[in-house]
Amino acid sequence: MTAWARIAENLRLGQDVFRLRLEAPEIAAQARPGQFVMLKVRHGGDPLLARPFSIHGAENGELFILYRVVGRGTKILSMARPGKNLALWGPLGRGFDLGVANPVLVAGGMGMAPLPFTAEELVREGKRPAFLLGMLTTGGYVALVDALDKRLKNVGVAISWASEDGGLGRKGLVTALLAEALQNGAAHILACGPLPMLKAVAALAAEHGAPCQVSLEAPMACGIGVCLGCALPAAGEGYLRACQEGPVLDSARLDWARL
Amino acid sequence: MSAPSLETKVGGLTLQNPVIAASGTFGYGLEYRPYLDLNRLGGLVTKGISLEPRQGNPPPRIWETASGMLNAIGLANVGLERFIAEKLPALAELDCAVIVNLYGEAVDEFAALARALDGRRGVAALELNVSCPNVKSGGMAFGVDPQAVAAVTRAVKAETGLPVWVKLTPNVTSPVAVAQAAVQAGADAISLINTLLGMAIDARGRRPRLANVVGGLSGPAIKPVGLRMVWQVAQALPGVPVVGMGGIASGEDAAEYLIAGASAVQVGTGNFQDPASCRRIAEELAQFCVENQVARVSDLIGSLRPPA
Repeated sequence: MTAWARIAENLRLGQDVFRLRLEAPEIAAQARPGQFVMLKVRHGGDPLLARPFSIHGAENGELFILYRVVGRGTKILSMARPGKNLALWGPLGRGFDLGVANPVLVAGGMGMAPLPFTAEELVREGKRPAFLLGMLTTGGYVALVDALDKRLKNVGVAISWASEDGGLGRKGLVTALLAEALQNGAAHILACGPLPMLKAVAALAAEHGAPCQVSLEAPMACGIGVCLGCALPAAGEGYLRACQEGPVLDSARLDWARL
Repeated sequence: MSAPSLETKVGGLTLQNPVIAASGTFGYGLEYRPYLDLNRLGGLVTKGISLEPRQGNPPPRIWETASGMLNAIGLANVGLERFIAEKLPALAELDCAVIVNLYGEAVDEFAALARALDGRRGVAALELNVSCPNVKSGGMAFGVDPQAVAAVTRAVKAETGLPVWVKLTPNVTSPVAVAQAAVQAGADAISLINTLLGMAIDARGRRPRLANVVGGLSGPAIKPVGLRMVWQVAQALPGVPVVGMGGIASGEDAAEYLIAGASAVQVGTGNFQDPASCRRIAEELAQFCVENQVARVSDLIGSLRPPA
């Protein structure tokens, strides 16, 4: 559905990371972990297209979006003030299948965005997810780290951190933490992050015979299955649409060599 | 003033309003059901249908540009058989005109598509995408060659009693010769414009933004080109119905196309900007008519005055 949502808050949580809180009760009520919305960063024709953003949280009629400033669209969004209205539509796509045993959530960089919501819903369903989060560096992201730690602690989940600069948690890649978790009983992987990380995660999953759901991003114009811009190479032949068959897909359905 | 009449006649059809959703931006129609009432559209044009299913081009397939977007989707579609079995039955229940866009790489492919769709319930008209490569002429687009366009149009008309609209490419010096060839071969209307060939480059990586390197430019950036070509064809071929498109994002944009000579308009990339665009644009066009004392939207068609 389409909404014209008031910005309740657009909070800076790090040097280039913001958390947007939107009053969008109908979308928030339907949102499931791993789904996304198409959001116009401002009204009118410039920028022309809406951007896909994964749903960071949904509660009390409000929708949360965690984003990093990466281009012109997100730069414009970062300057939007509370009280202003933005157009969006959603929730869209297939989210994470939560009917899994011993889940381990693996996040890399801004791939963290959909996973706190996923962890909360898993806990609500009686699961005890492990939560692994890797970043290049955590310097400059104190508020973000605090906010995530606090939010997950509220549902009894402790984040295992990894950072490539060694600033927080294990020095190195989050996949090292995943390899250990798989040896210690984690059975089902739910991952979101940059493509090289997801490739490594999918390879580890295959090695351990662990089922693995990955959330992918792709450039898209519509978000509703018609523009066919967000094609992801499918195992075998052809393509899957990130917006319809995804954005969360069983890693075995993808052709990782062509991705 | 009472509500203006939005009805318009174009290429063998009477439409309840002049705003039609354009091919390639509206899927098979039903995808938009959650966002607007399809029965209130002037019409919708399906994704281009080919004889066999097409997977489309490798990604990246789209790139946003200044007031526009480039796409190189590669005409991915479910193919004729699945279109008839899975998409057409639901489309046949709609109150709006459903125009089926056809894509072929040879004259006989277009003819076979037309034959298969002739007389099918739910199909109001056919629109021929002649911007595709003509395999028999070494891959040069049909649409740049008046004789090839005439041959395709004639072959399709021989297979069907349905109205046939021919959708022209803007990638020609003048669209008039091609439009004329289509009309002489029996086209009931001319749709224009398809996308303009363009490209985008990542200067830092020194790579094209699209895997296909080049793609079709659409969106508000191309509206002046679309208006110019609609006007040229309408001037040169009076009495030939024209369906205008290119960058329409508002009711006033639609009015501009009608004034230039179009009898109806199509909204393409606008559907991506806002999935309810077609409804909004039709409402804005009605409002435009009220504000400008236009009793019938058809009064706008070809009403351009000379320069002040």
